[in-house]
Amino acid sequence: MVEILSNTVALSRMQFALTAIFHMLWPVLTTGMAIYLVIVEGLWLKTRNPDYYHHARFWSKLYVLNFGIGVASGLPMEFQFGTNWAPFSEAVGDFFGSILGFEGAMAFMLEAGFLGIMLFGWGRVHPVIHYLATIMVAFGANLSTFWILVANSWLQSPSGGEMVNGKFVVNDYFQAILNPFMVKSVSHMFFATLETSLFVIGGISAWYILNQRHQAFFERSLKIVLAAAIVVAPLQIYIGHLSAEQVYHYQPTKLAAMEAKWETSPAGQPADWSLLALPDESGEKNQWEITIPNALGYILEFKPNLSESVLGLKEWTPSDRPRMVGLIYYSFRLMSGIGFFLAGLMLWSVLQWILGNLASEKSIDKNGCYAPGFLLLPWATSLLKPVGLYAVWVGNPGHSMDKFARLMPLPISQRVTSSLL
Amino acid sequence: MDALLHFLPQVWFVILGLFLFLYVMLDGFDLGVGILSLTSSDEERRSLLMTSLGNVWDANETWLVVMGGALFGAFPLAYATILSALYIPIFMMIFGLIFRAVAFEFREHSNRKLVWNIAFGAGSFLAALGQGFVLGSVIEGISVDEAGHFIGSTWDWLDWRSLLVALTLIQGYVLIGSTYLILKTEGELQKTHFRTAKLAAVTTLIGAILITIATPVFYETARIRLFSPPLLYIFAVIPLLGLLLVWLLLRSLNREEERTPFIWTILIFLLTFIGLGLVVFPYIIPTQITIYQAAAAPSALVFMIIFVGFLIPIMLFYNIYQYVVFRGKVAGSAYGD
Repeated sequence: MVEILSNTVALSRMQFALTAIFHMLWPVLTTGMAIYLVIVEGLWLKTRNPDYYHHARFWSKLYVLNFGIGVASGLPMEFQFGTNWAPFSEAVGDFFGSILGFEGAMAFMLEAGFLGIMLFGWGRVHPVIHYLATIMVAFGANLSTFWILVANSWLQSPSGGEMVNGKFVVNDYFQAILNPFMVKSVSHMFFATLETSLFVIGGISAWYILNQRHQAFFERSLKIVLAAAIVVAPLQIYIGHLSAEQVYHYQPTKLAAMEAKWETSPAGQPADWSLLALPDESGEKNQWEITIPNALGYILEFKPNLSESVLGLKEWTPSDRPRMVGLIYYSFRLMSGIGFFLAGLMLWSVLQWILGNLASEKSIDKNGCYAPGFLLLPWATSLLKPVGLYAVWVGNPGHSMDKFARLMPLPISQRVTSSLL
Repeated sequence: MDALLHFLPQVWFVILGLFLFLYVMLDGFDLGVGILSLTSSDEERRSLLMTSLGNVWDANETWLVVMGGALFGAFPLAYATILSALYIPIFMMIFGLIFRAVAFEFREHSNRKLVWNIAFGAGSFLAALGQGFVLGSVIEGISVDEAGHFIGSTWDWLDWRSLLVALTLIQGYVLIGSTYLILKTEGELQKTHFRTAKLAAVTTLIGAILITIATPVFYETARIRLFSPPLLYIFAVIPLLGLLLVWLLLRSLNREEERTPFIWTILIFLLTFIGLGLVVFPYIIPTQITIYQAAAAPSALVFMIIFVGFLIPIMLFYNIYQYVVFRGKVAGSAYGD
C-alpha cells in the first residue's frame, strides 16, 4: 500500500480512473435528456398542450442539476492530461489537444451559451427563439459526445500519422479523425446517452406513477420514452456487437481479457464461449467456467466457424497482458447483461401498453394500489444503467492509456510528472 | 516558410490571449461576486447575487475550457510543462470551481442554504486564489531543462511574489464583481458595492504597482526589451493610460454612475492584458520557452485555425446575444415563475 502511495503512475491512474468514472455519468444523462427536451418542447409548439410545456420545464430543472455536476467534474478532465500526464500531452498534443480544443469551442460553448436562454429565457424571447436555444443546447451536447469519442477512439486505434522522436506527427487529420474505431465508438456512445436518459426519465416517471402523484402527467413522459426505447434499446445491442467486433479485429489482447480466454482458438473451427468463469491470472487459467459449446463463432460473426483465430492471453508475455482480467471479464458481461435486460424490459412494457395496462386509470385497482408492478422495474434499472456505463468504461479506456503508452519509445510511466510528490 | 513558422504561433498567441482575457473578464466578475457573497449578511441579498449570475456563469466558465483545449492543441509543450509544474494551484482552482458550480445549481432547490452559500463563496475565493498563484508562477518563471520539461519541485509556485499576484488578482475580481453588481442591482445592495468597488480599486492599484516593482519579468526583461524605441513609446503610454483609467473609474464611482464603472474596469483589465502580453511576448513561459519552441506543428495550427478560428465570431455573437436577452436589473427568482 505504501508502495502505491509513492508511485506517481499508480496515483495518476487512480486519479484519472476516479475522475473519469465520476464525470462520465453526468454528461451522458444531459446529452440524451437534451434530445428529450427538444422533443417535448417541439410537441408543445405543435399542439400547444400545456402538459408538454410543463414537461419541458420540469425535466429542464433536472437537466441543469446534472449539467452542473457534469461541468464541475469535467474540469479536472480538461486539465489533468497536463498536470499528471505531461509527456503524454506533449507527445500527442498536435492531434489530441486540437480535438479537445474543438470540443470546447464548437460544442461545449454552444451548449453553455444557449443554456441560460433555455432555462431562464421563457417569456423573455419568442417561443421559436427559445426552441432554437433548446435545439442548440442539444446539438452542442451531442457534438461534445462526438469530439470526445473521436479523441477516445483515436487513443484506441491511433491513425493518420506516426511517432517521430517520441512525438505523434499527424500526416492526415481527417484520417486521424476517421480512425478505425471512430464511427462505431461514437454511435455506441450516442445511443448509450439516449438509452440512459430514456430509462432514467422513464424510471422517474414510473416512480411518480407508483406513488400516485401526477399520474396522467408522468404517463405521458413514460409513453414518449417507451416509444423511443423501441428503437434505441435493440439498436444499441446491435451497435454494441459491432464494437465488440472491432475489438476482435484490432485489439486481440483486450478481446482475450474480455472473454477470459487463455488458449488460442484456431481459424476455421468453432470455439466455445465462456458464460461465467473465475479467471486466475497467476495460474494462467480459469479456476472454473461455464461454457456454451461452439457459440463464439456465432457471437463474433453470426456463423459457426471462426474466420480468424481468436488469440488467447498466453500468446503474450505476462507483462504485456491486461491486468485484472476478472474485472474486464465481468464488467463486459455486466454491460451486455444490462443491455439485454433493458431491451427485455422495453418489450414487456410495450406489450403491457398494447394490452392497455399502461393507462393510469386502469392500472389502479379497487384499493387504490397499483396493479401491474412492472413499472417498478424501470426505476430499478434507471439505477442499473449507469452501472453498465461504469462497466464499459472500466473495461475500456483505462486500458487505452496503457496501449498508447506502449506506442511511445519512452514509457510514459517513467516520465510522468514529478510534481505529484 | 520561415515567416509562416513565426506567423502561426503568433496568431495562436493572440487567440489564446483573447480567450484568456474573455475568461478573466467574464468569470472574473462571477468569481468577484462569489467572493463578495462571503460578506453578505442576509439570504435575500445572496439570492440576488447568485441570480445575477445564474444565466451567464457557465458560458463564462467555458472560456477557461476553450482556452485549456486551445493551449493543449496549439502549444502542447506549454500545456504539459505549466500544468505539471503547477499541479497544486491548478487543482486548487479546479476544486474551487467545482464547489462554486455545484452550489449554483443546488442552492436554488435546497432548503439548507448555508452549505451552498459557503460552497459558493469559499469556492469562488479558492478558485481565484489558485488562478492568482498560476499567473504569478508563470510570470515569475518555471524551472525547465533544455527540452522544456519541468525540473523544479512541488512547492516552487509558493513564494511572496506569487502570493502578491494572487491577492491582487482577487482584488481585481472583487473590483469587477462590484462594478457588475452596480450595473445589475439597485437600492441598498447597489450602494454597498459602490463602496466595495472604491476600496477594491485602490487595493488593486497598489497591488499592480507592487507587482511591477517586484517581479523580474517587469524590471529586467522589460527594461532590456522595451526601453528602446519604438516599443518604449507604447510602454511609456500604458502606465499613464492605466492611471487615467483608474482616475476615471474613481470619478464615476463618486458620481454613482451605473454603467461606466463596469466599462472603465473592463478597460483597465484590457490594458493590463495588453501590457502583460507585450512584456511576455514572444515567451509563453517567460524567459524560458518561446511560443515558437512550444508550438504544435504548422499543420496542426492551420487545422485548428480553420476549426476554432471561424467559430470565434460565432461564439462571441451568441454570448453577446445572451447578455442582451438578460440585460437590466435582477429581481426575484431566476426561473421567472
